[in-house]
Amino acid sequence: MSRRKFSHSDGIKLAYLSPWLITLLLFWLYPLAHSFYLSLTDFRLLGDQTTFIGLENYVRLLGDADFLKALANTAIFVVGTIPFTTVIALILALLVNRGIAGAKVFRSAYFIPSITSLVVIALIFTNLYSRGGYLTLLCDLVGISTPERGFLFSEKTALLAIMAMDIWIASGYYMLLFLAALKSIPEEHYEAASLDGAAGWSKFLRITLPQLRPMFLYVVLINTIKSFQVFVEIFIMTKGGPLNSTLTVVYFVYDRGLHKFDMGYASAAAYILVVIIMIFALMQMKLFGISRSTAE
Amino acid sequence: MRVRNTLIWIVMLFILVGMLLPLWWMLLGAFSKDFTATSLTGNISGFRFTFDNLMSILEVKNFTRSILNSVVVGSIVTAGNLVFCLMVGYALARFRFVGKRFLFISVIAVLMIPVHIVMIPLFLLISATGLYDTYGALILPFLVNPLGVLLVAQYIRELPPDLEEAARIDGAGEFRILISLVAPMCKPVLAVLTVQVFMTNWNSFLLPFILTSSDTMRTLPVMLAMLQGYQQIDWPQLFAASTVSAIPVIAVYLAFQRHIVSGITAGALKS
Repeated sequence: MSRRKFSHSDGIKLAYLSPWLITLLLFWLYPLAHSFYLSLTDFRLLGDQTTFIGLENYVRLLGDADFLKALANTAIFVVGTIPFTTVIALILALLVNRGIAGAKVFRSAYFIPSITSLVVIALIFTNLYSRGGYLTLLCDLVGISTPERGFLFSEKTALLAIMAMDIWIASGYYMLLFLAALKSIPEEHYEAASLDGAAGWSKFLRITLPQLRPMFLYVVLINTIKSFQVFVEIFIMTKGGPLNSTLTVVYFVYDRGLHKFDMGYASAAAYILVVIIMIFALMQMKLFGISRSTAE
Repeated sequence: MRVRNTLIWIVMLFILVGMLLPLWWMLLGAFSKDFTATSLTGNISGFRFTFDNLMSILEVKNFTRSILNSVVVGSIVTAGNLVFCLMVGYALARFRFVGKRFLFISVIAVLMIPVHIVMIPLFLLISATGLYDTYGALILPFLVNPLGVLLVAQYIRELPPDLEEAARIDGAGEFRILISLVAPMCKPVLAVLTVQVFMTNWNSFLLPFILTSSDTMRTLPVMLAMLQGYQQIDWPQLFAASTVSAIPVIAVYLAFQRHIVSGITAGALKS
């Protein structure tokens, strides 16, 4: 397709791109750079004097039991939710994709937790998980022992309770992605397999699963990136407690930086998270190319 | 086959109930007479309907103000995104310039970098510019959504440029071409953008929370968190307030489902 090339003036180009250039510079590149600089200082809001201390914050972080706990909790959160979310999402997609009467209604309903405000959902579950709330009553009813003050006040169950809630929220979202992938599998593949005598399970294993492989990877990667950032649930439900059992990295950054105003130290913690997320983001770009890495 | 489909249908129904039960519980708490501040279970056997809880939140200081804030901020941010994402998306799709690839990558990188990473410097920047605790803090950083830019750019790239070129030969100005020619053709993607941006903004918590401090600047999600922060949680009131926050989004979702679903899957399926 060779077209007559029309070239716009530089002024027009700059004018059209300027909203993004300004947003990028002012609200992303500058803060990212500033954050890195802060991470090398002992800057405190309302503190008297700021000194450059090199990598000291990073060194301190690696010996900070709270930060290591936050890192471990975040890792548990990521590793403990994603397999469940992914498998449940796939099962939901397969169920909805069977074209049974009312499938559309089911699909819509399954997605509702994903679009509802996280603050609202966290509040509802705070109620349900309390002593005397429905989930504890239900457990009592079937004879499962529950923590004395409800699920969120026990070191053993608080993180698990939040993880369970997150699986419940996110499954519908990833179901939609799997559903889109299922719909894009060409019908001929199945027809060809039918001619070979394949049916049911064998079709699923030979065609559906291999065709879904890219979407699988994609779902796991974006869910990993998202899960590393868990914050709102923690803020509403536990504030990191009890005894740091639900402290996550982002909550740690918020607490040290914007609550206790130890901003240099908190910036260093944030940068460690940047590096971890960057690794997964780069994997995503490598595996899917930049144009495919566009779902949020 | 029939039996099997019936079984699957029953399984799906069970999952549906599980997915909606917590929200149904919120509604029950919001509209039940038998739900007291301290009781967590109410009395489901004898449900008696009331608007009292809903009315009681109107007496919470600045609650209606927080609704107004969310509506105003959401509307301005959405309107801004429509204009700016169209401009930037069009430029990325049609113009040729140095650093285009870098700019594309920057959009995707920003999509993936969590906003939490920049919360401290952003807080400092907003404070230093005097925007702290103003509408500016709630609006300016969110006017160009990277997902919106990408969606628009991808959409325009699929459109044939013939019409624009014809208009240019006829002597139409660039801005006119964008507004009266390209924008109408982009209606589907702009609809997706409107719904997505407004919903994201309506639900967003962290940045509005850290960039404001006075009660009159709170958005609805921040207000909810504040209500919960009081020593004694008043559950019926909190659930009524949660309902006010959640129901508009669910209603918009049910009405514009197609747009929301395509916004989510567009990026994931594009090859």
